[in-house]
Amino acid sequence: MTHAGYVAAGWIGAGVLIGGYAVTLVRRGRRLARQVPPGERRWS
Amino acid sequence: MWRDAALVAGRDLRIEARSRVTVHQVAPFALLVLVLFAFALDPARSILERATPGLYWITVLFSALLALSRSAALDETAGARDALRLSGLDPSGVFVGKSLAVAAELVVLEVLLGVGVIVLYGAEPAGVGLLAATCLAATVAVAATGTLYGALVSGLRVRETLLPLLLLPVLAPVLIGATRAFEAALGRAPADGWPWCGLLAAFAVLYSVAGALAYGTLLEGS
Amino acid sequence: MTTTLPPRPAPGAARDEADAARPATTASPATRVLGAAALVATALLVLYGLVISPADREMADSVRLMYIHVPAATYLYVGCFFTTVASAMWLRRRTPGWDALAEAGAEIALVFSIITLGTGSLWGRPTWGTYWTWDARLTSTAVLTAMLVGYLALRRLELDPAARSTRAAVLGLLLVPNVIVVNRSVEWWRSLHQGSTLVKLDPSIEGTMLVALMVGFVAFGLIFAWLMVHRFRIAWLDQKADGLDLEAALAARRAESRAPTAPETEVTP
Repeated sequence: MTHAGYVAAGWIGAGVLIGGYAVTLVRRGRRLARQVPPGERRWS
Repeated sequence: MWRDAALVAGRDLRIEARSRVTVHQVAPFALLVLVLFAFALDPARSILERATPGLYWITVLFSALLALSRSAALDETAGARDALRLSGLDPSGVFVGKSLAVAAELVVLEVLLGVGVIVLYGAEPAGVGLLAATCLAATVAVAATGTLYGALVSGLRVRETLLPLLLLPVLAPVLIGATRAFEAALGRAPADGWPWCGLLAAFAVLYSVAGALAYGTLLEGS
Repeated sequence: MTTTLPPRPAPGAARDEADAARPATTASPATRVLGAAALVATALLVLYGLVISPADREMADSVRLMYIHVPAATYLYVGCFFTTVASAMWLRRRTPGWDALAEAGAEIALVFSIITLGTGSLWGRPTWGTYWTWDARLTSTAVLTAMLVGYLALRRLELDPAARSTRAAVLGLLLVPNVIVVNRSVEWWRSLHQGSTLVKLDPSIEGTMLVALMVGFVAFGLIFAWLMVHRFRIAWLDQKADGLDLEAALAARRAESRAPTAPETEVTP
């Protein structure tokens, strides 16, 4: 595969960025949900 | 509304006349920026000449940031804010008034910078009609947009740093249009400059309307 | 005078019990399904994008970056759209859900804009020889990124929540119009110098490449949706938590003023 480095960098970079952001969201969500009484989280 | 606008414009300009911040601080800053560009870009090569339209408008934008920040600051003290809200002035009128005051200051700056650019960069004025129309449209665009965004950041300690961040990306089309129009007027570019001037005028109208509509909400909200 | 009757259960006790059982997370059955689907679609995208589809005749393998770049750019605009519409709705209705939606849209749009710029730049290097070309899409995306950063900066300000939301809403409302104006201006400007744009989406695009692109749109769409739901719920909980902090502070003040031996303390807000 030509330009393999660029392609790899792009795909891995995008994956890391989105994955990392997703992890941040989940952790922040759990932290916030603990602070708030259960009545407010009417989605689960 | 126009009466309220005239009132507010008059007040802002009178404060300016008394304190002379634009004259004593912003104008020298603007000329200083022109000089700094010369240091950075070496007048011996022809870069300064070719880049004149761009350098001119960047200097205008930076100076405008100062003028707009000051305009927003005029109404930041708690007393001024309450007075404005309780005065029964039409918020659109306040917006138009403030924009006109800033626009007036900017026009003076632009003329001054025009002289500066002729003297310092050896620019030869040509296509003066297009130059003047561009300046007018761009000035209204910058003043209107800046007054609206100034209200978004007014009263905040971070006003000085946040205003440029918010305003400059939005003004990118103004910079693009004004520079292209100037290039055409000075005979630097083959393309016609008047369509760019049209873009500036459309932008100016758009933001004048947006600002007039949104200013009331912002005045109440803060 | 107290009675000796057994205490009656408080009204809504059954509901409270159910509430107490809710896990402390922003996830829900819906998001779990969404997340699973997104992972499957992403796996398919990797398969099609990196393995099955061929290299382009002109761009060679760097075209594989387009399967990320184009969907990312698309959902970037979708995120901005959410922010603008939610800002407008907040200004009309003033319900907190719209404010939360506006915040979520902008933050996710920022993530996608970074991906758009990054993949566009990495595509440009082998194709044009430089990491950055002032072509219309990259330039407009860069300006848009700055706008999003500014919007999110405004949202973080120390202001009373209503004022902050109002200002953010006005700014958010202007986001899509600004983007349109900037994009048009930049395209017009760059068209004076360049004929082509970054991606020539050839209509006679090879079959599997088209499939890869479609899979990309689906995968990114699912990812976008999953991120949006979670970020929205976070913004929602954030507002509630702020409200609770405020209530707690007020309650503490009231308790202070009621206590008979409370010292005269001047608490400045």
